[in-house]
This record gives sequence, structure tokens and C-alpha cells, in this order.
Amino acid sequence: MVLVLALGDLHIPHRAPDLPAKFKSMLVPGKIQHIICTGNLCVKEIHDYLKTLCPDLHITRGEYDEETKYPETKTLTIGQFKLGLCHGHQVIPWGDLDSLAMLQRQLDVDILVTGHTHQFTAYKHEGGVVINPGSATGAYSSVTYDVNPSFVLMDIDGLRVVVYVYELIDGEVKVDKIDFKKTSTSHSAH
Amino acid sequence: MEFRPRNYSAELEFHALRRVSTAAHPLSASPPSPPLAQVDVVDRGNNDFFDPLRGTDNDANAAPPDHENLNEAADLQPTKEWTSSRRLLMQRFPVSKMVSVSSMPDVLMRSGKLHEKSSTTMHFEELDNPQKFADEGVKTITWQEYVSRLHELKDEITRSWLAEDRVTSLKLSIKVAKLLMDTSVFEFYPTLFVLVTDIMDMVGNLVWQRIKRKAEFSEDGTLRCNLAENFQARDICADAKETCYNWFSKIGAVQELLPRIYLELAILPCWRFLLDQPLDSLQRLVMMTRGLGDPVASAYCRLYMAHCAQKLPSHDIGYLVTCVNDIRVILIQILSANERSHKNVKLNIKLQVSLMEPTIEYIMKCVFNGLTQTQVNEVLSELGLMKNQQELGSVSCVSIILHHLLKELPIEVVNSNVVHILHLIEFSKDNSFGQHMNYRLLGFRMHERKSPVHIVNDVLDKVIQVIALYDSLDEYLKVVDAYTDLILQNKMDNHLNAILEGISNRAWNKTVTEDEMLSLQSLIVKLLSHFKHLEDVFCLVQFPEILDVLYGKSQDVVFLHILNMVTRNDHISDPTSIQLLFEIAQTLHDNIEFMNVKDDDGQVARSISRFVHMVDYGAEMEQQLAFLVNCRGAFGRFNELKETLVHSCNSLAIQALKCAKKNLSFFKSCVTFSEVTIPSVSAHRQFDLFLETAEVAFLGGLVSHSDGLIDSAITCLHTLDIIDGFRTPTGVEGLVSSIRKLCGFLIMVPGTFSLPVTYFPNNLFTLISSRSCFEPKMRTQIFSAIILLLTTLSQKRLPYRANTQILGNDMLYYGDSSYNQELVSLSKLVLENLLSAVQQEPSQAARGILALEVCNCIASSFMLNSELSPVCLTLIETAKSCLSAQDRYLQSTIQLLNKQ
Amino acid sequence: MSVELKLSRSNRIYRPSEALEGKIIVKTQSSISHYGIRLTLKGSVVLQVRGGSAGVVESFYGVIKPIPIVNRTIEVKSSGKIGLGTSEIPFSLNLRQQDKNLERFYETFHGANISIQYLVTVDIPRGYLHKSLSATMEFIVESDKADLLQRPLSPEMVIFYITQDTQRHPLLPEIKSGGFRVTGKISTQCSLSGPISGELTVEASAVPIQSIDIQLFRVESILLGEKIVTETSLIQTTQIADGDVCRHLSLPIYVILPRLVTCPTILAGPFSIEFKVAIVISFQSELSKLHKKSDPKTPRLWLAMETLPLELVRAK
Repeated sequence: MVLVLALGDLHIPHRAPDLPAKFKSMLVPGKIQHIICTGNLCVKEIHDYLKTLCPDLHITRGEYDEETKYPETKTLTIGQFKLGLCHGHQVIPWGDLDSLAMLQRQLDVDILVTGHTHQFTAYKHEGGVVINPGSATGAYSSVTYDVNPSFVLMDIDGLRVVVYVYELIDGEVKVDKIDFKKTSTSHSAH
Repeated sequence: MEFRPRNYSAELEFHALRRVSTAAHPLSASPPSPPLAQVDVVDRGNNDFFDPLRGTDNDANAAPPDHENLNEAADLQPTKEWTSSRRLLMQRFPVSKMVSVSSMPDVLMRSGKLHEKSSTTMHFEELDNPQKFADEGVKTITWQEYVSRLHELKDEITRSWLAEDRVTSLKLSIKVAKLLMDTSVFEFYPTLFVLVTDIMDMVGNLVWQRIKRKAEFSEDGTLRCNLAENFQARDICADAKETCYNWFSKIGAVQELLPRIYLELAILPCWRFLLDQPLDSLQRLVMMTRGLGDPVASAYCRLYMAHCAQKLPSHDIGYLVTCVNDIRVILIQILSANERSHKNVKLNIKLQVSLMEPTIEYIMKCVFNGLTQTQVNEVLSELGLMKNQQELGSVSCVSIILHHLLKELPIEVVNSNVVHILHLIEFSKDNSFGQHMNYRLLGFRMHERKSPVHIVNDVLDKVIQVIALYDSLDEYLKVVDAYTDLILQNKMDNHLNAILEGISNRAWNKTVTEDEMLSLQSLIVKLLSHFKHLEDVFCLVQFPEILDVLYGKSQDVVFLHILNMVTRNDHISDPTSIQLLFEIAQTLHDNIEFMNVKDDDGQVARSISRFVHMVDYGAEMEQQLAFLVNCRGAFGRFNELKETLVHSCNSLAIQALKCAKKNLSFFKSCVTFSEVTIPSVSAHRQFDLFLETAEVAFLGGLVSHSDGLIDSAITCLHTLDIIDGFRTPTGVEGLVSSIRKLCGFLIMVPGTFSLPVTYFPNNLFTLISSRSCFEPKMRTQIFSAIILLLTTLSQKRLPYRANTQILGNDMLYYGDSSYNQELVSLSKLVLENLLSAVQQEPSQAARGILALEVCNCIASSFMLNSELSPVCLTLIETAKSCLSAQDRYLQSTIQLLNKQ
Repeated sequence: MSVELKLSRSNRIYRPSEALEGKIIVKTQSSISHYGIRLTLKGSVVLQVRGGSAGVVESFYGVIKPIPIVNRTIEVKSSGKIGLGTSEIPFSLNLRQQDKNLERFYETFHGANISIQYLVTVDIPRGYLHKSLSATMEFIVESDKADLLQRPLSPEMVIFYITQDTQRHPLLPEIKSGGFRVTGKISTQCSLSGPISGELTVEASAVPIQSIDIQLFRVESILLGEKIVTETSLIQTTQIADGDVCRHLSLPIYVILPRLVTCPTILAGPFSIEFKVAIVISFQSELSKLHKKSDPKTPRLWLAMETLPLELVRAK
């Protein structure tokens, strides 16, 4: 059982002062084995904060990130799964399944995690899974200013993944889960 | 050419993964908990994952570490400490390049002149042949020559050793050791010591190796035995012992005391070949060192002794304690002479003491390295500091020794003897070391571990009473700085006020020196770190006054600290605080502007940015905007800050939109502020900021503003110097991504009747085509994005809209065939350029990937008819020629084409 | 063509009851024939008088006959041939002969007037036509364990104190008037394998001290007719204090006895070898700088000293 925290679009401090306190109290060091962050943190302090949660941190670059050295895309293998990471503002139209599938083919990954739209979504498409953890701070997006803060925790166990979605709605954390298995026809991990 | 029709919402619905509410989830196991529980979590989590350092820590708790490992570590440690101590010595007493050393010939000749040669025996002459060395008639020698001569000597020693001429090696080594007899040029002594002991160590090592070899190999080179690390004297063959004994007798025959001691120390470990317990020799050497009348020479000799003794597998610290006691006796003697002497001699003695300090420091470190409580008590009683077995008595000590003792004492001992140490300090007042520095050190040591409040009280009462008599601001600050943390922790407000007043009185009407400024800075930073709220600090009566004393670098540090302190957590909404901080920020800014202070790491700019972010007027949005306007005026120097201002203002605009009572004119002011601020931001950041502002304007329904901002964004690309603006490839990549993002935004932007429907895509396309600095790869990616944009625009329903009030193109041009026509014709043009851009890519591997990207783009955008299928096939061929057939991207793209 | 001797012990020390062992190494480019390989063992006490302190007339020089200790030749190999290359011929030779148990093997000593020396010589005569090959080597004799001093070494030390009043020679006025007091103890019976030990404390000294040295002297006496010619010479100086040391801190006296130039104290009929140890305190003085090359035995104005007899013994 490996826990992977996926989050992004924090826009700190431009659009939000900090992560919601309720999220911060849940995210304690030592629980999580990997963090993948889609980008737009934006300041270094957040990077450092995430590092304290878990030293294995992977970040791709959002257009407002202070740190310009983050790559545009990144892939990593966790257990049986190959994960791809990208901020998503460069995928046209934003959040479109066909366009995300193009990226997924290019990166050759089982699970593609992107952000930018600030809305949690999870789709199964062409054998792969596409996840958007939303904005962890509920920052306004290019499309809307009505955003609930959310992030995702993936529990990867063998061929099975349980995706937990943490969403802050009206001051309360609501947790949903999505369960999926890797089918034999999908890409094999490398 | 025909766009592939899409039904975005239906597709999303179809593919969405079903989510169900859950009560159990991985983060629920640890409910929001007190920090202590969190620490538990840390340990548990790390046990099975990653952090190898913490992992061993846990293991260490479970089972005591391997005993041998500990020993090994202890063996290695001295070497490291010695090296750093040597380096510090050289740094602390740097040798001026200009000075000549006139005494060098004396040093080399002294032995020859003071004592009659003729009377010595053949045996002795063998060691000391004055004709061969020295006496070269040099009267003055520069330090550089001296040093280079020493290096030559070192080489000569090695050379003769290698040439089996060990007698010469030994003779030269004695010569070198004799150099340390001369302390006439004080400042050079530490450097000389380092250079000479380096040679001594080398010689010691050579002798050790030689005897060890004799013990391990017989004369004809066959292996006799392998000596274990902890060998015994009985493992050594008679031949090797004889050689070893011979070395000790040769060295024992050296007439002068100092070189004799140094050389015996150099080969001290060799006693192990002869005896199992070589400690007696060490004890004797300690006593012999007493014969060195020069205080500096004898102190450094003891330093070398402490170093050499660490090479023995086990050693008692008794000899070190004797060393400390002897140094103390010597110091008392010097200092009592001091009282009787006039100024010049006093200066000399001061220098002498400062030269001796590092030796005391090192020896103290060696003494207290890893002692048990009982051993510490024994040591203290040996040093005469224990009145009875339990307590440090009210006896006096030489203050410099006391200082280093206090520095090294285990914290438990300090903690349980605070009052006695205080007495010791009180009664140890002499010229070897400032008494205030010992009071200061006690303060720091007490801060290491919590003492009972009544003890802290007693100590502080005493200390405050003592320093009340100090005239010097520097000494006063040195002491109070050390006690500030204690005072704050124990909430001793009366003491706090007393010391602040003390500082204020002593700083009154005087120029504060650099040193004093540093102490003051340290003290203020402690104050600031202690109080949560700035208001509390400013409540202290003398604080603002003291703050005014600061200038220059320390002012910057303190101000920066204040700024960081208040911006750490909460929003700042109190107008007075905002005003104060604004002024502080302005001073920092102006210091950079006018005082030529450097903000190398951008710390000041970042802190001011954070301050701007943290200022929150809440519902008073107009004031917030006014504040941003002020900031733009006040902090013109920081480009980064202007970026912050734009972001803040955009955020403010959104905040205004969220308000129930919408204030469109305020919203407009915000957008306008951003719009006029962006041009002063550095060029390569402008595009993103224009785009963000355009998005914000669009969210608020300001379509024409938004259009203008998009125009500005595209225009700024005209002038942007890509090579200079983005020094890194990832920077350029970022710009391309942002341009692609613009295409994502343009999907929502409605056409206007005054402009062609493809006005923005066309502009963008024309710009990118016309500027040669956009490389084939960048073009391919941007053109692909434009095609995807055009495809999306052709759909019956757009995938997203930002503002329901603004009609999208899907509504505006619903069923308009000329609209579709225009999209198709631009697509054709872009596609043509796209295909040629792929072929222009010079790198083969990159070309293959680009071909696949374009192929994917076409397949996803258009119906693959007779016109486009060949294009795709050509692209696949290109990719095949560039990539391996096994390439998974290639395979999946072929699969996609087959499917359609 | 060469011959050399190599002894079994690298320190070349042998006891009279032991056998002298080693190898004769012959290196030759062609095979040679010889008339036997012979070893000669020779030990003697060589006495000479060179204008010693007794003021002996020059004509006495070299008149004294050496006292033989041992002189013996044995044949290691009878006549034959030595092949080309390097040949090693081992030998073993008892020092003391069974029947002549009374021979007195003094320990090796190299002095100014008296020298006790043991030599082993190899001779390879090759007839009249060829030069004979030969090589000589000194070896060192130390007393037999059985002959060692049976009574234990006296652990007692002589207590000394040196003040301006114990000096029999004139001192500088400031030293005399200012006064000084140096006390301590020193062993006067010493094992040759151990150090001269003791300790010394400067209790007071008005004039700063320049140096404190321990001087080791040998006293060689030769019976010359009716007279005894005695010569005292310095063997070794060992500094134990350099500069004006702290008062009341005891300093160790630790002097390793040099080999060859010392031996057990001998009081034989025709000659005697004795030793003395002196504690010499030099005070800082302008005058001393002018007389750097002075005879250490001469009392000077800036020196204070105490000389004590020293008995050296070979102990277990």
C-alpha cells in the first residue's frame, strides 16, 4: 500500500494566503510516500512545506510558479503504475478528454494527473485514467471564481487504486472515493 | 477538410469515474491532533519508508549501537577536530605578508652556539652536525621564505627517509622541531606550530610504519604476522622492538628539551611496540613540558600532546587535567607579573594569553569528550574547583580557563551547579579574559536547558546587579544579549525593562560601534522572535528608542525580521501597524536604493511582497486598492513586487466580484490598475500577467478590456527578446505553454462584429510565423494549439464558458457557414505551416516526436478523409524514420489512426 | 670478489655465555680455492693516556699495553673451493671457553682513554699468489644474566638542594644577593637499560633561569706506574628546563643512558671506569652570551651546579 498525494493550483499567495487549516491538520508528515503536484504553488515556501510532508516530491510547472526549473511534464513509476504529471494549461481545450488522451499517449502512462481547471475530475478513457485534483486552496481559475478547495490521495495497492477526493464544502471536509483496477489491456508499467 | 464534431459534455459524462462518499480514508486515522501525537506519527511513518537517517535513529533507541562502531567513530573524530583546529589557528592568527622574521637564523643556530660542541660524544654529534645545516648566514628572512624553507625541509626529510638515510631525516626533524623554541614573533607562532607539527606527524608516521613493517615482515620480506589493530607488545619480534627502542634512545639523546618532547610525542604511539601500557610516558611528558619556561611554547606543546595522545588506543584524561592545571599555574604567574608591569608589557601579555587560548580550548574539548557525570566531578575536583565532592566551590579560577571549562562542561553539570558557577565567575576576575564574557557564556549555557525559576531569578538578580556597574555599552550588551532568552521565557518583565533601560542609557548620545550593533541586533531579533504580536514589542517603553539607534546592515536585518515576523501568519489589518510596516519596508527599499545595500538573494523584495499580500483591509476594498497604489509608488525598485501588485489587484477584483453587491466601477479600477502596472514589470513576465488580467476582466464581463489585454499580450510577444528574457530552455518552454494557454482562453472569447472572427488566432499565427526566434519545435506546439482552438470553436457547443452573461461564439455564430468557412481556411494555412515546421526540426529524435504530436492533433481535430489521411501517413513515415519501431508513442498513434 | 660478516643479531649484542652466530658471505665472479676459512675472536681493554688532567708527560703516550680478554682462532672450513656467485657459510662460536671460566668479559665501552672492544675477523688465505680475503666486525658484549648484580637496585635517591651558599665558586653579585633555591632528588645507582630518574623543583630564584641541564660525565682512571691518571669528560647534556620555569612545579629528571659510551661502573686493578652526574643551573646574564663556547666543567659566574657520583649497573 502506497499513498500518493496529488494536488495543485494553490496560487499562494496570489489568490489565497494559505492552504485551508482543515487540510493542513490532516496532512501530517510521515503518512504519505509520494507527493505529486501539478504546479502553480506558487512561492518556494509551499514547496518547502510539501517537502516536510514527504521528501519525495514531484512538481510540474504552472505558468505562475516562481520556480522556473520545474519541468513541463514528468513521469514516475509507483508499483505497477506509471504516472504522468502536467499542469494542464497547455492542453487545448482545457481539460478536454481527447487532448488529455494525446498527452497520455505521448507520456505513455496509466494515470495522468493534470490541473489548471480547479475542478476535481476523474475519467477513464482509452484504457487510462485521467485525474484532476482541483485547487487545494479553492483559488479562482481562468473559468470560474466559484471553486471548492480539493485534493486527492491515491492509495496504490497492486493493480488496484483507490482515489480519495478531499473537498472542502461550506467549511467541512467531504471525502469521496473512487475505485479502479488496472486492466490487463492497458499499458504495462516500466 | 472537415472538423471532427465533438460533444464535450456527453463524453465527460460517459467517461466519468463514479465517486462514492466514504467515511474511512487514509488521513482519517490521525485526527487533528496535538503536536506530540504528530511526532509519533513521524516515527511510525518513517520506520518503513525513506529517511535513512531517522531510520537509524529509531534503531538506536531500540538497541544500543555496536560497541566497536562507537570506538571507531571516536578514533576518527580527533583527526577531524585536529584538522579543523589547525585551520582555525591559521585563520585566527593570520600571517601578514609584509613582515620579516629576523630571528630565523638565531633559531637555527641557537643550539650550535649556546653549548660547546667539542665535548659531546660521537653519538651525540651524529644527531647534531651544525656544519650541514643552518648557519647559512641569512640575517633576515621573509615569512614566505621561512615557510617555503620549511616545505623544503619536509621534502628533504622524506627524500632522505626514502633513501634509507634515516639519520639525516631525524637530524632534520630535530632542526625543524627546534624552530618552535623561538616565540619571539608571537603572531607567527601558531602558523609555525601548524607547519612544524605537520612535519612531526609525518615523521611519526614514517617511524610507525617502519617499525610495524619490521614487526610484520622478516628481513627477506616474508610475512611474519599481521598485526591486529589492538596488538600487544608481546606480538612484536625482538628485532622490531630493538629498532623502536633505538628511536627512543636517539630522541632521548637530543639535548634541548623542546625538540626532545616534540619528537617523542611524534612517535608516542610507537611505545605500543614496547609496552602495553604506554601511559606512564605520557604522564612523564606532561611533567617534562613544565620545563618549558616560555608560556606560549609550553601551551602549544601541550596542545600537540593532546593531539598525539589521541592516537593511543586508550588514554586516561589525567594527563590532560595536569596540563590544564599547569597552564593555570603559568597563567597566574603571568598575570601577577602583569599587575606590576607597565603598559607595553601588558600588551605583550594580552597577546600571549590570546595565543594560548586555542590550546586551552582544544585541551578542554579533549578533557570533556564523552565523560560520565562521576568523571566530570573527578575532573572538577582535580582542577581544584570542587569544594566538596558535590558542589563547585567558591574558589577562583583563571577566567580564560573558566571560560573554556564552562563552554565544555556537560549541560547537566552546568544545570545543577548554576549558582556555584556564578560564584566562580564572580571570583575569577583577571586580565586573561573579560569577566563579562563568562557571564555571557553562563547565560547561553543556562538557556540550553531549563533551570528552576528560583535559580534563574537568583542568577539574573546577581547578573543585573553586576552589569549595572558597567559603563561600556559593548560589555553590557554582550551580557544582556545572552540572558534575553531566559528573561523572555520566564516572563521577567522587570528585568526586561531594566535591561532595555540600561541599553538605552548607555546608547544615549553616543555612536554605536559595529560590535555593539551586532549584539543589539541579536538581542532585538530575540525579542521579536519571542513576541507573537508586534504590538506587544512596541509596548515596551524603550523599544522604539532602541530601534532608532540602529543603522546600516543591522537596521536592515532587524527591519526585515519585523517584516517577516508580522507577515508570517495572520493578515495585517490594523491601520497603524500597516503604516509602521509600510515605513519599515520603505526604509529597506530606500536603503537598497540609496545606500547601495545589496539585496542579493532578493530577500527584501520577497519580504515586502509578502507584506503586501498579507495586508488585508477586509471589506474596505477601496483602501486595499489605495494601499496597492501606494506600494507601486514606494517600491518602484522591485520588479518582482510589481508582479505581486498585479496578482493582488486581480485577486482583489475577483473578491469584488464575489461580493453580493457588485461594484463594477471598483472592479474596473482594479483591472485598470493591473493594466497600467504590467508594462513596468520585466518583459518576460508580462505575457502571463496580461493574460491573467484578461481572464479576470472576462470573468467580470469586461469584454472590451479583456480584448485590449489580449492584444497587449500578443503585442508584447513582438518585442520580447526570447533569448535574453528566458535564459533557460525551461523558461522558453514555459512561454510556449503560456501561448498555448492563450489558445485555451480564446475559446471563450467572443468575436466582435467590427473584427474578423479569427482575429486573435490569426494575429497570433502571423506573429509566430514572422518571428524567426520561434524555433520549429515551438512553432509546432503553438500551431497545433491554434488548430485545436479552431476545431473547438467550430463545435456546436463549447466545452466551457467563464461568464454566463457573455455569449460564446457557439451562440453568436450558430449555424453561420461563413464562420465555419473562415475557421477551415485558417486551419488549412496553419496546418501547412505546421507540417513544414515539423520538417525543419533539426534533431532527428525531436522531429519524430513532433511528427507524432502533429499526427495526433490532426486525427483528433479533423475527419480523416482522402485529403488528410495521406498527410497522417507521411507524418507516421517521418516518425518511423526517426524513432525506433518499438517506440510506444509511435505504436499508440498508429493504433489511433487505425481506429479512426 | 668480497667477503663480509653478518651477525645473527642486528644489534650485535651478545653475552659471554652465548655463542656468536652469523654468516660469512662470500661473493665471487669465479670459483676460488682457499686454504681454509678462519675466524678470529679478539677482545681487549685498550688504555691510552692523552695528556689527561693529571698533567702526564707526553712520553707516556701509548706505552701502556692493552689488557687482553680473549684471543682465539678457529677454522670454520678446511681448505677447499668456493663456487661462483654468493656463498653463505654459517658459523657459531662460543665466546667463553668451558675450561677458562675465569676470563673476565668486561662490557663493551668506548671512552676517551679507555676502550673495551670485541672484534671478530674472518680470514680466507688463498696462497702466495692471491691476496687473502678478510673482513672484521665489532660486536658488543653485555654481561651475562648470571653475572648481574644480585642485590636489588637501590630505590633510594639522593636528595639535593642547590642554593647560592652551596656553590664553591664565585657567582655574579645579583645571583649571590638575590638568592635561589633548587631542590630535588636523583637516583645515583642506575640500571643501564633504564633512565637516570629523579625530579627537581625551582623553589626560588631572583634572577631568571636560562636553562637547567643534567650533564653526564665519565671518569676514566688508569694506573700508570705508581700514579693514577684520571680524566673526566662530558658524555651527554640533557636539558630539563628551558627558560625561566614556574616556581614550585616539580620537573622530572629523565635521562636515557646512551649505549657504548656507558658501561657498568668498573673498578679493576689497572684501570677503572666511573660516572658522575651534574645538575647545572644557568641564570640569564649578559655575560653568559659572551662565553658561549666554554668548557662545561669550568664553574662560571652565572652557573650553579651540584655534582653527584653515579653508579651504573647492568640489572635484569
